[in-house]
Amino acid sequence: MASLELSNVRKAYGATPVLDDVSLTMAAREFVAFLGPSGSGKSTLLRIIAGLETADAGEVRLDGRRIDTLAPGDRGVAMVFQHYALYPHMSVRENMAFGLRNAGVPRQEIAARIDEAARVLEIETQLDKKPGQLSGGQRQRVAIGRAIVKQPRLFLLDEPLSNLDAALRTRTRVELAQLRQRVDAAVIMVTHDQAEAMTLADRIVVMHDRAIQQIGAPMEIYGRPANAFVARFVGSPAMTLAPVSLLADESAFAAVRLGEGARIETRVPRDGLAVGAPLELGVRPENVQVVETSGGVPEAKVELVERLGDRTFVYARLADGLSITAEDAGGSRVRIGDTIGLRIDGAAVHLFTPDGRARHAAAAAA
Amino acid sequence: MLGAMLMAAPLVWTLLLSLKANSELMRDSGTAFSAPYTLENYRAVLQGSSAFRWLLNSLIVSTGTMIGVLILCSLAGYGFARLEFPFRRTLFVFVLLGLAIPEQAVILPRHQLFAALHLHNSYPGLILPGLAGPFGVFFMTQYFRAIPRELDEAAMLDGASRLRIFWKVLLPLTLPAQATLGVFTFLAAWNDYWWPLISATRSERFTLTVGLASAQMNYAQTSGLGFLMAQAVFASLPILIVYLLFQKQIVRAIAGTSGR
Ligand SMILES: Nc1ncnc2c1ncn2[C@@H]1O[C@H](COP(=O)(O)OP(=O)(O)OP(=O)(O)O)[C@@H](O)[C@H]1O
Ligand SMILES: [Mg+2]
Repeated sequence: MASLELSNVRKAYGATPVLDDVSLTMAAREFVAFLGPSGSGKSTLLRIIAGLETADAGEVRLDGRRIDTLAPGDRGVAMVFQHYALYPHMSVRENMAFGLRNAGVPRQEIAARIDEAARVLEIETQLDKKPGQLSGGQRQRVAIGRAIVKQPRLFLLDEPLSNLDAALRTRTRVELAQLRQRVDAAVIMVTHDQAEAMTLADRIVVMHDRAIQQIGAPMEIYGRPANAFVARFVGSPAMTLAPVSLLADESAFAAVRLGEGARIETRVPRDGLAVGAPLELGVRPENVQVVETSGGVPEAKVELVERLGDRTFVYARLADGLSITAEDAGGSRVRIGDTIGLRIDGAAVHLFTPDGRARHAAAAAA
Repeated sequence: MLGAMLMAAPLVWTLLLSLKANSELMRDSGTAFSAPYTLENYRAVLQGSSAFRWLLNSLIVSTGTMIGVLILCSLAGYGFARLEFPFRRTLFVFVLLGLAIPEQAVILPRHQLFAALHLHNSYPGLILPGLAGPFGVFFMTQYFRAIPRELDEAAMLDGASRLRIFWKVLLPLTLPAQATLGVFTFLAAWNDYWWPLISATRSERFTLTVGLASAQMNYAQTSGLGFLMAQAVFASLPILIVYLLFQKQIVRAIAGTSGR
């Protein structure tokens, strides 16, 4: 059975629309990440599901029951806030018990649930401390614990890791993934960290411009972005987008020409593309290889070299002024100012029509 | 240091005078610096004067005012900070305007109003004017506003009703503010002189300030300086206790930090 169902949710603040006709269906126990740039309405959507905001139109259902008409506490959802929102004057134990008391859970049951959650989250020794006496990471665990003890049907996490330092963030990410296996509930996590979304989520919902741009499994979003926005937003460094023109050809696949003159044979089916129509070519850094300058490959001047150890990203500029990002080996000798040759892997490029819609290589369809 | 000595000198002087027999002081108040000392004046205060009665009145009026102000200002502060209702901003500005109106401007109409309502010479008559405190409303509103809304929201998701959120989550967080506002309100009511002077015309409703002032006029010749000073020391004891109990809050409030 479907877990959460959003149908045609709309929201505007005054005259400013924030969400336009958002629909989404989650499978039972699914982990979904809302990914999008700042201001794209991720938090707003989360808050509508939680009942902290009311939608102007549309329905929200959880496990088949309509919940948008219910009070936040009656919806069967639990939320972990970005700044944790622990009650400062209550001990960790009281923080976790508060919601259960309000729900009339028997005292012994409350104690049992808290002990269990504290054990799982390894905060047993902190139970009698106040939030102010805890570290950021510990507070985060308490916030998660407070959600877990309620045994909700749906967890809502608003940027749960954004207040942690890098090391702790990676560790907590792993723990979240493990935790997720234990709970019998669906999870929505808001983030604008794509690595977080890619590692944790079953499906990613990419949001931008008041609407869902694409819903898909992480590799689908990465490998077959639905449009130019998703293509650029997901992946780091970002995909290079270059204006190209379609060449007349007999082949079933489109051949295009870059502004600086190079011809690229793609694996994108030609049907429906008009010769001469303006198109955009999208190619990820790992599909642009640094090679010796020799006739036939586009040449570019290196502007920035980013050495990550295992590989090197090279930011270069083609003769026609287009910026392009390439990947080279970890031990790359390329230096700023060098002129390098680039080999673009035609089989891996995407084409985008003027309306932003993507065409993908046929081979990658599998 | 010098400042502290200057501040302390009159207090020490008062204390010394209160411990001297009146007959000695009549000759020369300079004898206050030398023995013999006596508690005779204090005995007289406890037995003879209405000081006890006035002290009780002051306690009732000050405590009543304090409790009333805390309740009203907490509710109003919560309302202004968290509830949506028509003309909220306008009303808030209106309340703040109250800060600009000096007591002198309203005391006459208030006197007439209270006379018409037969509230003079009663505890409500002494307490009610102190409850209209724009500063307290402003203070509590700011304090409630500073509490992150995420806490309300977390509590909503925890299934708490609005009343429960106020009572269990927000109000406990305002305790430092309650203490500060409470102490200042208590002290202001304790030290108030003008309104009780007008409203309480019968000795059994005098507050300590009014009572002591009347005593100075009536008894200065008969009972003597030492007796007066003993009364003054006696009168300042409760306030001294309040200061000692709430030292931290008072210092914080004056230093302008919330101490959270
Ligand atoms: N209470 C509000 N009143 C008016 N506008 C609001 C309100 N809350 C959010 N908005 C607007 O709605 C839009 C979406 O906000 P939202 O907080 O949902 O974005 P977000 O995707 O969560 O961004 P971020 O990644 O920065 O958290 C923004 O343009 C924001 O300015
Ligand atoms: Mg947000």
